[in-house]
Amino acid sequence: MGEGKPAYRKAALALNGGPTDELVVNLGCQLAKPTGAELVAIHVIEVDWSHELSDELSQENEAASAVLDQAEGIAERYRIKLTGDLLQAREVASALVDEAIEIGADVIILGLPYRKRFGGDFAVGGTIPYVFQNAPCEVIVAREPIPTTNITTIPPAEKMPASTAAGAPRGRSLRDRVRGNGR
Amino acid sequence: MTDPERPGSMKPWLHGRKPGDRRMRVDRPHAQYFRYSGPGTLIAREAASMPRTPTGRLIESMRHILFGRRLSNYEEIDERLSKKKALAIFSSDAISSSAYATEEILRVLVVAGAGALLLSMPIAIAIALLLAVVSTSYRQIGYVYPSGGGAYAVARANLPGIFALIAAGSLLVDYIMTVAVSTTSAVEQVISAVPDLNDWRVLIGVIAVLLIMVGNMRGLRESGNIFAIPTYLFVFSALLMIVIGIAKVLNGEGTPPAGVAASTTDLWNVAGMVLVLRAFAGGSVALTGTEAIANGVPAFKPPEPRNAAATLTAMAILLAVLFIGITFVADSFGIVAIDLPVPKTVISQVASIAFGGNSVVFYLFQAFTALILFLAANTSYNAFPRLGAILARDGFMPRQFSFRGDRLAFTSGIVVLSVVAIALIVIFGGDTHALIPLYSVGVFISFSISQSGMVRHWLRERGGRWRTKLLINGFGMVLTAVVAVVVFVAKAPTSLLIALIIPLLVLMMLFIHRQYSASAAHLKVRDDIVIAPPHREERVIVPVPGITRAVVQAINVGRSIAPDVRAVLISDEPEESAQIRERWERQIPDVPLVIVESPYRALVGPMIAYLDVLNQTWPENKEQAVTFVVIPEYVARNWWERVLYNQSANRLRAALIGRPHTVVVNVPYRREDDDMVSEPSSS
Repeated sequence: MGEGKPAYRKAALALNGGPTDELVVNLGCQLAKPTGAELVAIHVIEVDWSHELSDELSQENEAASAVLDQAEGIAERYRIKLTGDLLQAREVASALVDEAIEIGADVIILGLPYRKRFGGDFAVGGTIPYVFQNAPCEVIVAREPIPTTNITTIPPAEKMPASTAAGAPRGRSLRDRVRGNGR
Repeated sequence: MTDPERPGSMKPWLHGRKPGDRRMRVDRPHAQYFRYSGPGTLIAREAASMPRTPTGRLIESMRHILFGRRLSNYEEIDERLSKKKALAIFSSDAISSSAYATEEILRVLVVAGAGALLLSMPIAIAIALLLAVVSTSYRQIGYVYPSGGGAYAVARANLPGIFALIAAGSLLVDYIMTVAVSTTSAVEQVISAVPDLNDWRVLIGVIAVLLIMVGNMRGLRESGNIFAIPTYLFVFSALLMIVIGIAKVLNGEGTPPAGVAASTTDLWNVAGMVLVLRAFAGGSVALTGTEAIANGVPAFKPPEPRNAAATLTAMAILLAVLFIGITFVADSFGIVAIDLPVPKTVISQVASIAFGGNSVVFYLFQAFTALILFLAANTSYNAFPRLGAILARDGFMPRQFSFRGDRLAFTSGIVVLSVVAIALIVIFGGDTHALIPLYSVGVFISFSISQSGMVRHWLRERGGRWRTKLLINGFGMVLTAVVAVVVFVAKAPTSLLIALIIPLLVLMMLFIHRQYSASAAHLKVRDDIVIAPPHREERVIVPVPGITRAVVQAINVGRSIAPDVRAVLISDEPEESAQIRERWERQIPDVPLVIVESPYRALVGPMIAYLDVLNQTWPENKEQAVTFVVIPEYVARNWWERVLYNQSANRLRAALIGRPHTVVVNVPYRREDDDMVSEPSSS
């Protein structure tokens, strides 16, 4: 790990079966590679109130296992050991934080997907803010790349309104919406 | 802790930091052995391939030490080679032949007297011209077949199938001979430097082949820098040797052989046409390995064909310079191969003159020469198994040749190559000169066939400047065919072996192909039909020795297969069988027991005869029933116990193999700990 960057010992990778999983695992592997940090991929099956928490949601489990297995496949390419942790919980965010605490993770890495609908925006949802507010360790968010077709050309600074001149996204900035509380 | 939402559930659940936050870990029992890659698709992990028994684990750990850990398909190296690296890796076979090609010419000419040795230079130049023609022809193959244009591939694409098989047979022989000749020559280089090792030459050769075999079984790759270094070390040191040698000749230090003939005509008179042709045939061994670059085009960096063609030209120039240079210096100093009291190769004598016989440089040069020759032997370990795998995929070799071992190597091909090469080294006493006649015949046959394939290709495909290309390949075809005949005749009678081996290999491949084609036609399922459920009636026969837990388990398995279940007891003790019947009818009343008295004490014969009778009594207007013979077996705990059990079952199973309308089912009964065994159900 380079100067100024912390050396993680154990990273919890939050996977949701979406397009950001690969980003998260790749980032985790790149961080872990130089230090030999341990990686734990966590996937939480959200159990709604029509099921008991202990119900075996076998159909979901195959897909959920595939999420962890694919993460292990990526880690194998880096020759890094990654263990999978499959959970059932009522709330993804709290289960994720609690599990990260239990396994002693010093960093949680999450993915932030980009939604193309309505002109395109990052779908922060509830999980990331919860993790930011409650995780006792560092939190890293890997955002999904914005498709090139959705990037609007930035006009010269003198023609821009004052509120966006610094290059921040229009409206409420991402920094305003999600706030991390890493150590 | 148990789940309060589901009383009685033993799944542990975990509290979070906040009240009400609960989560549960889900077991993934598959995760140890498999990984999901998609819906309904699993990938086996390394653990799934690991043996489960202590003996198996012991053998596995020994294999691990010898051959290394298992590699997955995803770990295959797909490295593209630069021209410099490819030149070293693909050319080691061709360039290393300069270490013994000159010697083969001189060994023939020396028979006609010292004066005839001067003919070695014109012969070497003629061979260099032949090399130019062959390499120019192979350049074109690289452009047309960028996916690898071995003689087999070219012939298969353009010529009738038999030519492809002849090419394949020739190449297989060529690869085997490369291992044998390169290894023995390498050992001779070592002996030339350390004569005391002469008595151990065969043993050293065998050990060297075994080491190369083990290295390749471990998945040795040719792409590493380690393989490029020996080639360049040899090339640069050999060039230095030639320059020093020429300088010494120019300095007047050369000692030409006594009795030098005055003119070329005189030389021809001295040597005679046959001898010259034999010398040419001997020296043509220099061309072996020329095709390696055309075979390996896909391994080059893009643009692959252009880089391969440039590398091929560089290789041909280097080989020609080394070959002619070594021949010139040897010629100038009147060097001939020495066999007694200990062998001294021609190249070692040239090195001795150039560097000084006891100098460190001389010993280093001998080491470099031996290294490149061992490396040349190693190139066949890439080519032979790969060709074997291609032939196996095409149905001309046993399928085992296409299976890759734990280290991604084609294990069967590697083992066969090593065994045959070792046999040749032992049979020919580790003598390179004795092996050479078997070598170049196959090479020129494959050259000739691949050039013929290219001629056919240009005639069919045409395209830009096709006439020039046709002319180049046509000339190459004629020339290599003539040389193949010359080499074959000149090296007779040893070369006659090749005339026997290649047709035998072709016949073997045709036979294998016919067998596979016949079985494939027999097993083929039409793809336009829907498979209906089975309609033949089924019955179950359970051979029993009495009433045991294994028998009860087999009877229960039989019941699950078909309702018609009967037990058959072959007995030579009528009293005992009566007791068994009494007990059987009491304990297993719904399964009839047939007792076959066997006064001649045979077991298998009466059982087979009973099955025959059952078949014969089946109504003729109905399709014969399928008979499931369910054999109870007792599984021994230890390997040494196995000899005590199941001998009758083994004999019966062997007798039933291939019997029509019969399916043999083994039902193993595993001995568990006594407290875990429950009595069979009384129902």
